[in-house]
Parts: sequence; C-alpha cells; structure tokens
Amino acid sequence: MAANNSPLPAGVTKEQAFGMAETEMEYRVELFNRLSQTCFSKCVDKRHVSSGLHLYFYGSRYKESELNMGENSCIDRCVSKYWLVNGLVGQMLSAGGQRPM
Amino acid sequence: MDKNMLAGLEGMPEEDKMRMASMIDQLQIRDSLKMYNSLVERCFTDCVDDFTRKSLKKQEETCVTRCAEKFLKHSMRVGMRFAELNQGAATPDN
Repeated sequence: MAANNSPLPAGVTKEQAFGMAETEMEYRVELFNRLSQTCFSKCVDKRHVSSGLHLYFYGSRYKESELNMGENSCIDRCVSKYWLVNGLVGQMLSAGGQRPM
Repeated sequence: MDKNMLAGLEGMPEEDKMRMASMIDQLQIRDSLKMYNSLVERCFTDCVDDFTRKSLKKQEETCVTRCAEKFLKHSMRVGMRFAELNQGAATPDN
C-alpha cells in the first residue's frame, strides 16, 4: 500500500497525478470563464432585443455601473442552468464514449 | 479560482503542496490576463464605433468605465454562485 499520505489511483505516477490535477484546474477555469462570458451576454449585455424579425438597438449602452435586480436574478438562474447543461453534456459524453461509432 | 482549491491538499507532503500552490498561482495569473484582454475587447466592441478621431469621446469613456465595472461585479456574483454549486449547496429553484 502507498506509504505517503495521499494514495494515488492504481498505476498512476506522481507526475501523472500532477498533470491531471493541472488539466482539471485548467478545465475548471475555462468552464468558469465561458460561463461568465455567456451569462453576461445573456443577462447584462442588453444591446439588442429581438422581437420577431426586428432588432432593436438601445441608444444608450451601459446606463449604469450597478447590476439591477433583474440582472442579478438572471445571472443566478443562468449560472444554475449552465451548470446543469454542463452536467448533462458530461453524462452524454461519458455514456456515448462507450458505444462504437 | 481561489483558495478553495487548496482545501483538498492537507494530506500532501510539503513539496507537493508547494508545487500545487505554484501551479494555482500560475493559473491565476494567466486567468487574470485572459480576463483583462477579453474585458477590453468586450467593452471596446460595445462602446466604441465612431472612428472620426483618435481620441475617445466622453460618452465612450463613460461607457467603457461602466462596462468594466459592471462586468467585474457580474464576475464576482458568478464566482459566488459557482462556488456554491461546486460545493453542492442546494438552492431554491427561483
């Protein structure tokens, strides 16, 4: 059995473990960044409002530097949904990976 | 991307902990620079589309300031929610 304090999975060297940890961290940072950009565009960056075939262009962009209540709620919900989609897609990818294409 | 990442490192030997901490530092620096670049691009795209002169109009300057502040506040909020979800904290569906 492993003599050190944090046992590694079978067949994994310490170098590999560090590599995987780094990859995992990079993935998480990327996830956060994409989530943040996406939800900003969906909830805060209200430049265009499409109504049917028409695109309305708000004359004054960024009227203020505070987030209003609507934006706050939207952000919370967007983050929650993005997270769920992330999980769903993850499930589908791991299930699909076992079937031959 | 913060100290929460260090939470799982208690059981590690000191040199491994240092290595992880340095990895996290590097990631944080890289991430900050990426954020800087993307924020500039976003606020430029949203606020500036008059190229009749080289200097920024007052209105453009104000817009950029608000844009940046708004995004940073947004980013903080997202960070809070992200951390909650990471920890599996249950929140009401509303």
